[in-house]
Amino acid sequence: MAPVEDGGGVEFPVGMKVLVVDDDPTCLAVLKRMLLECRYDATTCSQATRALTMLRENRRGFDVIISDVHMPDMDGFRLLELVGLEMDLPVIMMSADSRTDIVMKGIKHGACDYLIKPVRMEELKNIWQHVIRKKFNENKEHEHSGSLDDTDRTRPTNNDNEYASSANDGAEGSWKSQKKKRDKDDDDGELESGDPSSTSKKPRVVWSVELHQQFVNAVNHLGIDKAVPKKILELMNVPGLTRENVASHLQKFRLYLKRIAQHHAGIANPFCPPASSGKVGSLGGLDFQALAASGQIPPQALAALQDELLGRPTNSLVLPGRDQSSLRLAAVKGNKPHGEREIAFGQPIYKCQNNAYGAFPQSSPAVGGMPSFSAWPNNKLGMADSTGTLGGMSNSQNSNIVLHELQQQPDAMLSGTLHSLDVKPSGIVMPSQSLNTFSASEGLSPNQNTLMIPAQSSGFLAAMPPSMKHEPVLATSQPSSSLLGGIDLVNQASTSQPLISTHGGGNLSGLVNRNPNVVPSQGISTFHTPNNPYLVSPNSMGVGSKQPPGVLKTENSDALNHSYGYLGGSNPPMDSGLLSSQSKNTQFGLLGQDDITGSWSPLPNVDSYGNTVGLSHPGSSSSSFQSSNVALGKLPDQGRGKNHGFVGKGTCIPSRFAVDEIESPTNNLSHSIGSSGDIMSPDIFGFSEQMVITGNNF
Amino acid sequence: MAIDAALEKVWALGLCATAWRRECEAPPTSRVPPASAWTASPRPSLLPCAAAAAWPSSRERRQGYLDEQFNQLEELQDESSPNFVEEVVALFFKDSSRLLTNIEQAIDKYPQDFYRLDSLVQQLKGSGSSIGALRMKNECSVFKANCNDRNLEGSLQKMKREHATLKQKLESYFQLLRQVGPRDYAVSSRKSP
Repeated sequence: MAPVEDGGGVEFPVGMKVLVVDDDPTCLAVLKRMLLECRYDATTCSQATRALTMLRENRRGFDVIISDVHMPDMDGFRLLELVGLEMDLPVIMMSADSRTDIVMKGIKHGACDYLIKPVRMEELKNIWQHVIRKKFNENKEHEHSGSLDDTDRTRPTNNDNEYASSANDGAEGSWKSQKKKRDKDDDDGELESGDPSSTSKKPRVVWSVELHQQFVNAVNHLGIDKAVPKKILELMNVPGLTRENVASHLQKFRLYLKRIAQHHAGIANPFCPPASSGKVGSLGGLDFQALAASGQIPPQALAALQDELLGRPTNSLVLPGRDQSSLRLAAVKGNKPHGEREIAFGQPIYKCQNNAYGAFPQSSPAVGGMPSFSAWPNNKLGMADSTGTLGGMSNSQNSNIVLHELQQQPDAMLSGTLHSLDVKPSGIVMPSQSLNTFSASEGLSPNQNTLMIPAQSSGFLAAMPPSMKHEPVLATSQPSSSLLGGIDLVNQASTSQPLISTHGGGNLSGLVNRNPNVVPSQGISTFHTPNNPYLVSPNSMGVGSKQPPGVLKTENSDALNHSYGYLGGSNPPMDSGLLSSQSKNTQFGLLGQDDITGSWSPLPNVDSYGNTVGLSHPGSSSSSFQSSNVALGKLPDQGRGKNHGFVGKGTCIPSRFAVDEIESPTNNLSHSIGSSGDIMSPDIFGFSEQMVITGNNF
Repeated sequence: MAIDAALEKVWALGLCATAWRRECEAPPTSRVPPASAWTASPRPSLLPCAAAAAWPSSRERRQGYLDEQFNQLEELQDESSPNFVEEVVALFFKDSSRLLTNIEQAIDKYPQDFYRLDSLVQQLKGSGSSIGALRMKNECSVFKANCNDRNLEGSLQKMKREHATLKQKLESYFQLLRQVGPRDYAVSSRKSP
């Protein structure tokens, strides 16, 4: 960063926004004065709960938080976890308690630093380093895990310029502009290569199927709980791979696992026999044929997809990992970088599932090699396919069908545990009849049962592994990624509307927008905002807030909103903050829970996953991850909005699919594995897939 | 000189504020201290600053009521926040009185709940350390140790005494400062022959 290169020029940290949380008024007054002396923009707050509200209302309003450890209304560590999960801001703990074990606890929970009271000016003068460090690490992670884009390439230059100018200005605005840039970068998606400070592009790490498999093996070997990036890196023994790459990948993976677990646990809907298989077929046929015609989908993929869509024997769904991956890879070949990005994210998650089940067989298709690209798209597609019925059915019936489909698959899919991970993208809604051409992603057929398959690239569709159980592809803010679409779908699916995996870009060939609202771009764009790659932008995730017109307007629009909220926009207030876009939150979980009368309630899983998604930035310590897991817990049953907040509370999503025992990701996973038959409702799948992204820190 | 007299009073208060410390720390030869302040046998009421060695040893400073943090606070005071130190100190006493009451109530109502007591005292300790109330901080540490030993005999009284003493001294100090005038009085005294 230019300012840093200036030797930490005085101008750089000026105006940095600091939020101080402490119940001790004396300390607050002293700190505020000191921070002002450092020329920071200090805000004090004596209650942790109020501080959280402030942060949630204005994520970008602060650069760093300083929090006391002992507070009456909320434990400082809890606040630390929540901030890390939801907002991914650097948090500095402080206390008069200097005991090593307490300090250790702070570090484990993800604190950037731990200051002993009385805090001196010298210490406060340096806190800006934490902000910069975090941002740099984020960029580095993104660079490694994401795919470079053209826009990305230009970004660093822009960043440099911006920073340079800001350094020169030395005004408060400079800080803001830097932040904005950073935000923008983040918003553009994690995949962007955005190390603003460096002009040299770091080679992007593509998590190919093989690489991912190695990763999964390493994680399995260590045990998901004990898997730390350093050890994983050592076990993988891949030259050129850095610990950061592994760390971010691991995060995503964990999120994914969590999501999967929840999905499986939560799927309880009995599905009616697929009645709309015909429809599915049509959709699938349309899509796939179109895709195949365009030469983008390998014939085998097409066949597989069709099988899934039509609910053919599950076997077909479960593609051997290798095959799937290859399929996906093939499919994605032609995809745009966006797609790649998506996939990249998706992969980890996908893989995670496998892991969770412990079976991480090489063959685990979905998991399997999560080809960078294929993983996600496959999932999505797979979901769509398999749940073809789910997709488009506007009625619960459809969803039932889909679910049924999914259920059918479960055995096959769950076999070997890994397969089960091939969750079909629940979000993929197959339009009953209005299958729009995929190409017209935007052109969602008015009838909404179209299943939008986020096909950003045909490859995506093709990639859908038949066996994808749930591919919680959390499309991270990939703009084009079909992942996003998938997520959208999920949301929509909740209301029994076909899940439309809108891809934000509408490039999805064959994306059928069920809702007029589901404007791919709309939905997706929101997704993109989050900085977390995995995070679906708030809008998409729906939680809340406003419903983008027509986006995800499912029949039970309400329900949808809840669930993801993101597409529908209208969601209930994303109160939980967690759900908010970017946040890693739990939004996922929201999906459909609330009102979804339809079978799409599955979202609960999402929540849990969502949690993970929302998890803090990779940078944060793993401990936060764990805590977030716990938080994921159950999502509240309530209707909209309730789900939000799962992060903190570990509420469960009530929907029938709610997983009761979602206590911790690993637990859930194991549990869910057992219930292989629980194919999560399409929503879940679709949703989860998309949701998975984010790999934020745990 | 009026300023010297004021300084002497300040010293007499036993506080070790910035000005005094600077005076104390300066080598005797470069100073023109009031004779009374620098006698070889300092008056017992004088604090570390007026110790026999002519400037406070670290040991004596540790016995002081205030520590370096207080200096930092004083340094933060300027035109934009002219009464910063006094305001913060007032805030501290208001909050700490409340805390002491809570501690007392906790001892009465939940005599065996040492965990609760410990956390209350921890708050007091953090608060005191923020203004540089050294002795208060130490007293809190002692109290916490007593909680661990489950023996609070006399601890609360000692704490209250410390608190009251500090309050009184600081009040006098601020009063004096108001009398003395601008805060760089110490500098003036140094400059004066």
